[in-house]
Amino acid sequence: MNNPLSILDETYRVAWGDLVYMKENLPEVLITGLIGPLLYLLAFGYGLGSGMSSGSGAYLEFIIPGIIALSTLSCTFSTVAMKVLVQRLFYMSFDELLLCPVHISSVILGKTLSGVIRALMSCTIIMVVGHLISPGVDIDPLVFVVIFIAGLTFSLFGLLAGMLTNKTQKLSLFTSIVIVPMTFLCGTLFNVSALPDAAAYVIYLLPLTHVSQLMRGIMLDTGIPLDSVVILLFYTAAFFCACYYLIKTNRC
Amino acid sequence: MEPQTASSSAPPMDDIVTVRDLTVRFGDFTAVDGISFQVRRGEIFGFLGPNGAGKTTTIRTITTIQRPTSGSVVIDGHDIRNDYLEARKRIGIAQQHISLDKDLTVRQNLKQHALLHKIPKSELKEKVESTASILELGDYMERKVESLSGGWKRKTAIVASIIHDPTILFLDEPTAGLDTRSRHMLWDLVRMLNRKGTTIFLTTHYIEEAESLCDRVAIINHGSIVAIGTVDELREKIGKVAVESTDPDGKTVISYFPTREDAKGYTDTLGDDYFNVRRTTLEDVFLELTGESRGKLA
Repeated sequence: MNNPLSILDETYRVAWGDLVYMKENLPEVLITGLIGPLLYLLAFGYGLGSGMSSGSGAYLEFIIPGIIALSTLSCTFSTVAMKVLVQRLFYMSFDELLLCPVHISSVILGKTLSGVIRALMSCTIIMVVGHLISPGVDIDPLVFVVIFIAGLTFSLFGLLAGMLTNKTQKLSLFTSIVIVPMTFLCGTLFNVSALPDAAAYVIYLLPLTHVSQLMRGIMLDTGIPLDSVVILLFYTAAFFCACYYLIKTNRC
Repeated sequence: MEPQTASSSAPPMDDIVTVRDLTVRFGDFTAVDGISFQVRRGEIFGFLGPNGAGKTTTIRTITTIQRPTSGSVVIDGHDIRNDYLEARKRIGIAQQHISLDKDLTVRQNLKQHALLHKIPKSELKEKVESTASILELGDYMERKVESLSGGWKRKTAIVASIIHDPTILFLDEPTAGLDTRSRHMLWDLVRMLNRKGTTIFLTTHYIEEAESLCDRVAIINHGSIVAIGTVDELREKIGKVAVESTDPDGKTVISYFPTREDAKGYTDTLGDDYFNVRRTTLEDVFLELTGESRGKLA
């Protein structure tokens, strides 16, 4: 019974409620996922970028992959974390997942699926807008693979945070001191090579940095950094294992 | 009658739940303290105890939500630690707190439960409709759970708990918040499910509910089982005849006796004082054994 097809079937069964909610609230889901990235595009691309010596066009090409990368984080982490936290602490419906005869892997993938879909939808829209205003930015099928993996990674991170946090205020605090700085600092809006060595090293360790590098490598056709692939997959596996451990040991 | 304990490693065929030396600790606090008991296949088993006695923790542990600190639980031959997926297939639970997704409608919640319990997709619609009709949820199916009253939320949760035809159904305070009519509907449902072969594990604050529904009752206090048996066996434990009298301060005192003759011997000593001889109830047993006694044992 523990085969990939049954895991996929179970994943759909777990995700069904969240997907229904997303479908019924699609305008809100898209608007909340797009407002931030599109404002970054406007403010940093046309506003700040137009004043740069390198020219707004080149900077636009630089930041579009970065904005798509940061969207994989902003569209997933908070949504998944908050949903899980509310289902755990207020609706108590998360308990039902611990009572039903589905594998732990299916619970994890099911709870992250809506985040991944949200990331794919929002990033696709941003990518199309980016391509229209800056045709030098390629739309390559590989980008969707990166969005999928990044969306999964940050959704797993959100699931982990949602299972570990016991107060909405703590989740907000975590978002403010970890997620928001990561959004700006991980090579999304500027080149991290401009930073002091120590800061660049810390930023190199963060997963969003590698999503940015992968996006830029593919969309600007500068080559795929393999170290980023390895590091991103390492984070995916690490977050998955941490979620698995929490559920397996009933610590959520 | 002493609490039952398991005597062999393999559960007897007529026991659907076997709990052995179950302990659950939260830090320094021991919520469940080495309890052992069995639930027989096909019975309605009542689990009584004061607030904080360990009822809900026991249920959450047996149903695999809470991890035990030590001890074992076997559901229909499946150990909950090693074989939890098989154990869960047999379990239905309506928890004390209503565990529904309030962003979804009643129908969507029921469908979500059916999906989670592996009901084939082709049977989902019919299964949701037919199960919902048992507690007359029909008019509420398209309402968001958030907008329902407490009673309808509870009914929805109960329907969700039986949608996959569990072998054993755990009901944790199922009638809390229900009006009288709904409570009777639920009692009828419990009896109907039980007649069809579903074992029922019921916790309740309403002693009359346990007295009228349950084949056997366990009483838990401070995390330990203090008595287990049929209502008659528990009555015998403190004395089947109760004598209510009034002490010089005007306070009601209840004394318990094994027989009416013994009780008569006592009432003869009361002279012209007011007294009332009656059958000992499960409530008397509960209050005596949980240390909230109003009376004294003969």
